[in-house]
Amino acid sequence: MSRANGSRAGRVAAYVLLVLAMLAALFPLFWTFSTSIKNRIASFSIPPRFFNFTPTLKNYRKLFDTDAFAQVVWNTVFITVTSTIISVAVGTLAAYALARHRRFPGRRPFEATLVLVRALPGVVLIVPIYQLATRLGVYDNQWALILIYATINLPFAVWLMTGFIEQIPAEVEESARTDGANGLKVFAFVVFPLASPGIVATSIFVALLAWNEFLIPVLLAGESSKTLPVYISGFVSARTLDWGPMAAASALAIIPIAVFTALIQRRLVSGLSSGAVKE
Amino acid sequence: MTTEGLAHTMEAGLSVAARRSGRRLRRRVALLTLPSWTMLAALFAVPIGVGVYLSTRSDKIGAFVPGRGVGLDNYRRDVFDSALVGALVTTLIITFIGLAIQLPVGIGLAMLLHRNLRGTRLFRTALLLPMLLTPVAVGLMWRFMLDADLGVINWLLDTMGLSRIGWLGEKWAARVAIALVDSWQSIPFVMLMTLAALAALPEAPLEAARVDGATSWRAFRHVTLPMLRPVLFVTLMIRVVDSLKLFDIIFILTRGAPGRATETVGLLTYNTGFNFLETGRAAALGVATAIVTLPIYVMWLRAQRRTA
Repeated sequence: MSRANGSRAGRVAAYVLLVLAMLAALFPLFWTFSTSIKNRIASFSIPPRFFNFTPTLKNYRKLFDTDAFAQVVWNTVFITVTSTIISVAVGTLAAYALARHRRFPGRRPFEATLVLVRALPGVVLIVPIYQLATRLGVYDNQWALILIYATINLPFAVWLMTGFIEQIPAEVEESARTDGANGLKVFAFVVFPLASPGIVATSIFVALLAWNEFLIPVLLAGESSKTLPVYISGFVSARTLDWGPMAAASALAIIPIAVFTALIQRRLVSGLSSGAVKE
Repeated sequence: MTTEGLAHTMEAGLSVAARRSGRRLRRRVALLTLPSWTMLAALFAVPIGVGVYLSTRSDKIGAFVPGRGVGLDNYRRDVFDSALVGALVTTLIITFIGLAIQLPVGIGLAMLLHRNLRGTRLFRTALLLPMLLTPVAVGLMWRFMLDADLGVINWLLDTMGLSRIGWLGEKWAARVAIALVDSWQSIPFVMLMTLAALAALPEAPLEAARVDGATSWRAFRHVTLPMLRPVLFVTLMIRVVDSLKLFDIIFILTRGAPGRATETVGLLTYNTGFNFLETGRAAALGVATAIVTLPIYVMWLRAQRRTA
């Protein structure tokens, strides 16, 4: 691509634009972290204090002083991990069928349903889901949230895993089969190990969606299954906007995302555009 | 005879059995989708059915009188009601402003990254990050930054000698603010899609344009852009779907205020169902939203079938 680099002036202009874009992309993050370690006066000061303030952990301490917050963090982790395991396990089975068999009963309706789940706005579901949950007595129940998350994230799990399984050459399976391994053994000892990097990447991506989910828990989660996004949204309705703890809670929601993003950087790109086009 | 040899003989000799076993195999394969179907039926199809049923009733949350069937009354009152029309228009306005920002910026950034200058990977990772972050947290931080008196953005406008803007308190400013924050989160998606498409483009036509002495803008406009069209179409479609789904950010930034200036279809449905507790009407609004989404869904399905 060296040819496309163009003239020196063009290169400088490109860098200037990229740096500006990067500033725009990262400044809100910087501002969140910096607000989270400021005291109240510094966070409201005009002109804004970018670096000239004494950092404090008071805001974080304030959050963890209440048992409620620890419970919220635990709920979010538990619901995210469990729903991701279900979604990826169920999705991988279906993905195996899609990747290895061109035709089987129900293939086309299955694909069409996955797109529908992805395309339909969540607000279509909230009224009936709320009614069903309250009548069935599962309002504020973690398992209700887990199963709903697992279902709405299923398309991503299936699409991503289909892509990863397609990359495993079918010959590997066939040779295992001629060696006398049955279908289950082939799946457990051949497909699964080869697909495991894909399973990890898919899990992280699905977990990200579950971690960020808001519409379902804001309706269905009461005190005992409240998740982090719902907790954070609670700061808005509080009469005095307390920006410090709010920024601290936001930072705590964002840190794991940044860490995991770094872990799967390259595979993430295929995840982010999944469902858009098939490879 | 080895088992392998035996298998070959059997396969050759018993073609009828083979065909039957092929059908049996396909049926067994279909079983792999059974767990998915079960979840989709119980947690997606059933709620949709219940939603349609509720939309024909007059239920209210916390009402003393149980609801009753009212036929299509909710639709007659709501679907042609000015509130829904207003919300649809608001949704379209915010979607349109958003697309006008996201598409050019996203495509532009992809073109810059595609030049593969030194440090591209760092830029790409940094530019990608916003789309991964929790929308609720993003909304809150922007709300702080957009604050009319204490926000860093108005301070910036001030120092640059521009006039302050009442971001979340004025009709059009609030709509633009929502489109901006949504764009901040979704520009990376447009960028990634374009970048993937650019990587897959053949070099020859661009090369030819250069040999013919086309300027880089003309080469982009007349060679690259037409070749990107299919991917940009899919990207546009997904962005429209996601704009219709946009909820978290508006919920945090304005909740539909000022007045009803930013009340999109999603917010209207939520407010009807959970502020005014009118289950039947909200269910009807949900069904109406689904119907509005339907044409784009069909287009999406067709696009997917084409690439399959």
